[in-house]
Amino acid sequence: MGNQYLLEVNELKTVFSSESGPVTAVDGVTFNVKHGEVLGLVGESGCGKSVTAESIMRLLNEKHTKYDGEINFNGRNLLSLTNEEMLGIRGNKISMIFQDAMTSLNPVYTIGDQIAETIMIHQKMKKKEAYNKAIDMLKLTGIPSPEKRIHEYPHEISGGMRQRVMIAMALSCKPSLLIADEPTTALDVTIQAQILDVINELKEELNMGVIMITHDLGVVAEVCTRVVVMYLGQVIEEADVDTLFSSPLHPYTKGLLKSIPKIDGDRNKKLHTINGVVPSLNNIPNGCRFAPRCTYATEECLNEAPLLQVIKDNQKVRCWNYRQLLKEEVQNNATTII
Amino acid sequence: MELKTTAIDNVNISKLKNKTKLERRRLLVKRFLFNKSVLIGTIILLFLTLFALFAPLITPHSPLAMENANRLQPPSSEHWFGTDNFGRDLFSRVANGAQVSLTVGLSVAVITAIVGLIIGLYASYYSLLDHILMRVCDALMAFPDILLAVAIMAVLGPQPVNVVIAVTLAKIPVVARVVRSSSLVVKEQTYIEALKSQGASSWRIIWKHILPNILSPLIVQVTYIFAIAIILEASLSFLGAGIPAPNPSWGNILLDGKIVIFNASWMTIFPGMFIVFAVLGLNLFGDGLRDLLDPHSNKSIK
Repeated sequence: MGNQYLLEVNELKTVFSSESGPVTAVDGVTFNVKHGEVLGLVGESGCGKSVTAESIMRLLNEKHTKYDGEINFNGRNLLSLTNEEMLGIRGNKISMIFQDAMTSLNPVYTIGDQIAETIMIHQKMKKKEAYNKAIDMLKLTGIPSPEKRIHEYPHEISGGMRQRVMIAMALSCKPSLLIADEPTTALDVTIQAQILDVINELKEELNMGVIMITHDLGVVAEVCTRVVVMYLGQVIEEADVDTLFSSPLHPYTKGLLKSIPKIDGDRNKKLHTINGVVPSLNNIPNGCRFAPRCTYATEECLNEAPLLQVIKDNQKVRCWNYRQLLKEEVQNNATTII
Repeated sequence: MELKTTAIDNVNISKLKNKTKLERRRLLVKRFLFNKSVLIGTIILLFLTLFALFAPLITPHSPLAMENANRLQPPSSEHWFGTDNFGRDLFSRVANGAQVSLTVGLSVAVITAIVGLIIGLYASYYSLLDHILMRVCDALMAFPDILLAVAIMAVLGPQPVNVVIAVTLAKIPVVARVVRSSSLVVKEQTYIEALKSQGASSWRIIWKHILPNILSPLIVQVTYIFAIAIILEASLSFLGAGIPAPNPSWGNILLDGKIVIFNASWMTIFPGMFIVFAVLGLNLFGDGLRDLLDPHSNKSIK
């Protein structure tokens, strides 16, 4: 049963030590990723998406960071591995693509050098083989005439191209898990669509699991199969993508969905917003973490923290009042059908 | 699923690579020639190097041979730069002094560059090491250079090698600081994090990825260190704590000339002129290099 998952994150807790005391950036996050699945990790800025990803890669400065819980990858707990063992996993078994393609490449080397370097470290290949492999990878990501491109420096190619190079580099060792941290945020929509297509195709081809970190729900709808919504370091809702968009059960998710501007919307109508801002991690509300901003909040919400409950097949939510939302959704759906 | 490895026309690739290489080299030469200060600096340094290498060979006089009859002679066709208070040929002494000064300067520049680079890189990467090394550097920098160098010379004894050691020790903290501050910036770049996420070891990140990004400030700094080392060596020798007599160096020729400055000004003028030229050349060269290597100050010359 446990082996069907590629990655199991179990009650992950990431605590930073800061001058004003410990700060819990990720608090008991649990989710799984299967082979060939794209898991979306969504939430506002500062909700712990990126920290979760960096915890999986163990990229955080361990002098100031404490982990708790388990991250099982292919049956091995990544949190208990030594640094040397992690070096063999990063880039080889798990790869990461960063948001900022503009600065993710070293300006002093050609892109061929940089892709080949990773291949040479992990696959123990000769330089020539590694270069040929790099050309193949670039071709795979849809870069035209890669044999010319590999001799160019990062400043000579465009942002979309650079992101493709990053993807080629991340996938060059055929990792079984790809973590994409807002891979398309810095790109314009046409390039964005191309990049997402590339990730989707390669996912099929290599049968890898993908964690797609984003705050763009359009991206989620486009590529993800399942979605985890995070708020202030916790998972507040998890569902497959269709369920999440058709019947969100957490007021926060609902608010997020309502806030998307519609292309045929009324120009004069104000967009829906969620009131307030994400509270600071030093000042976490006692009860439900979302309660101070929630329109459904009751006395219970302010005093007692809800747990992540399994509602129906493959939908979990952390809310006291999900039944009310469920009822509303049913009514809404009924009216739209009529 | 297996990715197909395509056979690539290797000849074609190497041709292409050569073409871009040639293009880059052409651009570099052009930018070099357009940069007046680096051009003038290079010419001065080239002249000084040739002078140091060949001048001692073309003069018939030994720098140490004393001719009591010819003391304090003004410049003439026999003695181009005149003679000093022991009747030694000044041209020969200045030429040999050029060898000494340039050798000391170059050795100091190379050694401080290497040691400062290692200290700076590791200090920037490991924060505990940073605290320790930077406090040591602070302590060394708290002394005035010349005082520190004199103290070290007093301990080690007057030997040319010791001059190099003394000046190097005084200048390592400067280089280490420059390297550290530049690599702190590079270290926080996304591409370093991206490299970590690809499983690069710290060794590889430090030497293969941070180092090439900080080379230009290092090179510029090292040319200035070269110039400062020449001045420091001359100062030490002038104070009698540097190159020991009777071996010539620009500094101790100045010292010999000090007493007779009103009677035999050529003893002060010639070595002094060479010190000025060497330092001017190096500073122009360094300034020019900074402009050449800094991508932000590039004037677009295509």
